[in-house]
Amino acid sequence: MAFSEYEHLKLVRRGPVGWLLNNRPDRLNAMNADMRDEFAVAWRELDADPEVRVIVHTGEGKAFQTGVDVAEIASDGVGMERYRQSVEDFDLHFTAWHQQVEKPVITAVNGICAGGGLHWVADADVVIAASDAQFMDPHVSVGQVVAIEAIGLLRKMPVEAVMRMALVGRYERMSAQRALELGMISQVVDPPERLRDAAQELAEMIARNSPAAMAATKRALWGALETGLTDACRAGARELVGMWGHPDQEEGPRAFAEKRPPRWQAPGGAGAR
Amino acid sequence: MSPEPHEAASGYRTLEVRREGPVGWLVFDRPEAGNAMNATMLQELESAWLELDGDPTVAVIVNTGAGRAFQTGLDMVQLSREPEAMREQSRRTKRAELRLTAWHNGVDKPVIAAVNGVCAGGGLHFVADADVVIASSEATFLDPHVSVGQVTAYEAITLVRKSPMEPVVRMALAGHHERMTAARAHQLGILSEVVTPPGRLRERAQELAETIARNSPAAMAATKRALWGALETGLSEACRAGGRELIGMWGHPDQEEGPLAFAEKRPARWQGSSTDHAAPADGAGTAATGGATGGL
Repeated sequence: MAFSEYEHLKLVRRGPVGWLLNNRPDRLNAMNADMRDEFAVAWRELDADPEVRVIVHTGEGKAFQTGVDVAEIASDGVGMERYRQSVEDFDLHFTAWHQQVEKPVITAVNGICAGGGLHWVADADVVIAASDAQFMDPHVSVGQVVAIEAIGLLRKMPVEAVMRMALVGRYERMSAQRALELGMISQVVDPPERLRDAAQELAEMIARNSPAAMAATKRALWGALETGLTDACRAGARELVGMWGHPDQEEGPRAFAEKRPPRWQAPGGAGAR
Repeated sequence: MSPEPHEAASGYRTLEVRREGPVGWLVFDRPEAGNAMNATMLQELESAWLELDGDPTVAVIVNTGAGRAFQTGLDMVQLSREPEAMREQSRRTKRAELRLTAWHNGVDKPVIAAVNGVCAGGGLHFVADADVVIASSEATFLDPHVSVGQVTAYEAITLVRKSPMEPVVRMALAGHHERMTAARAHQLGILSEVVTPPGRLRERAQELAETIARNSPAAMAATKRALWGALETGLSEACRAGGRELIGMWGHPDQEEGPLAFAEKRPARWQGSSTDHAAPADGAGTAATGGATGGL
């Protein structure tokens, strides 16, 4: 199965890993309207590809992602208004979470991640970063509000750090090391050039687990961010029970006993909502 | 350098309220009592937060303590000797109508807690409810409530929403028998900076506040509403509400001034203060945002 053609993204398959690369390095991978539309298609395409078990998202060039392309906003006469309807309806489609991707998604932050770039940190399942990666949120320094990406982050990590980044704006950057301490990311890769190898290794490791069990686990854990604790446990229990009787639950222990890799049922379908 | 008062404190008996450039200082000022809150301080806190939030010359507020302690909660001595004086406070506690902190008082402006020493029990309210928290390397944190037969609730509930839970519950259950260091609080993300030597805390708080004061007051007020509001609801609902705050700023003059100032390499001239513009702009007009950065 070949991927579609993209202008601002690159899709690559390496073994069980589908790679999504931000590919506007000359614009620090800032997102213009076309790139935004391509994201919507790319996530769906990778999620539907039966050969892809885990998705890695990273950037080409020196930056990971720097949010909305202000040059386009400032020059085309449409400005932020292009986003009004989608923001009003919270009908966004540029992250894996927006697109309800069932497969595990690893964000590999390869350099600066600024402002709207934090969407892909907030909305990934697993985040790793190169040792020279940096995080910042310049919105309030140019009169813009910080909301959705920081809201996602503050559900997942200590709030004070998110609030500080939002209010200090462009005058301070968080290092990859501090992001690791805070649990915003789980691994710092040094030297930074090894980031893609490390991401591929991690993705292949995750790809050894049951796709159906991971999809249900994702639903249970992300769903828990929506409700109070007891409701989340109830909904989680339904995911738990939903897997009972699934072939992977016989195959897993058998493969373990026979000391061979398990043959999981192909993803896309079994765990579908 | 320790900031000197530019104005005489205006009639507060238990607080020191002063301005230093764009920064409003709210200082607990009962050093002889570990800055514990007596009935007078409980009243004065509400006035002080509202005074600083309403002052157009103040862009950012710093909260710290005079003397060796930051804040040690309700004044137990007064509570035992003059229960009458605390009656109004008990009523407010019962109705969850506290007016101690910036959050209780709906402060729009960024608030930095600068923890200068021990922060105990009810003192944790001011750490939990601040936007940004820094501490001197000598600061310590503890919650003695259960050691004197009191329940820990509000302050720990907020901390549990904002930082890893196990350390908060441990602090609540260990009572006065254990203290958390500033270094551990930093690791856990309860605070973002440990200042050493401890004597430099106020200077550093002033610096950080002045840095934050360079950002758009209206954008920061809307950001605060979006992020604090997100602690109230589920993720998707919070994102929807946050989206409304985003759009509410579109068309605001600060959104043209910000990129313009950046391009012209000069400080931005933001419109008024956050309190003057608490209501979101109507969103009419253009929202051109140029600038030399890659994106937002």
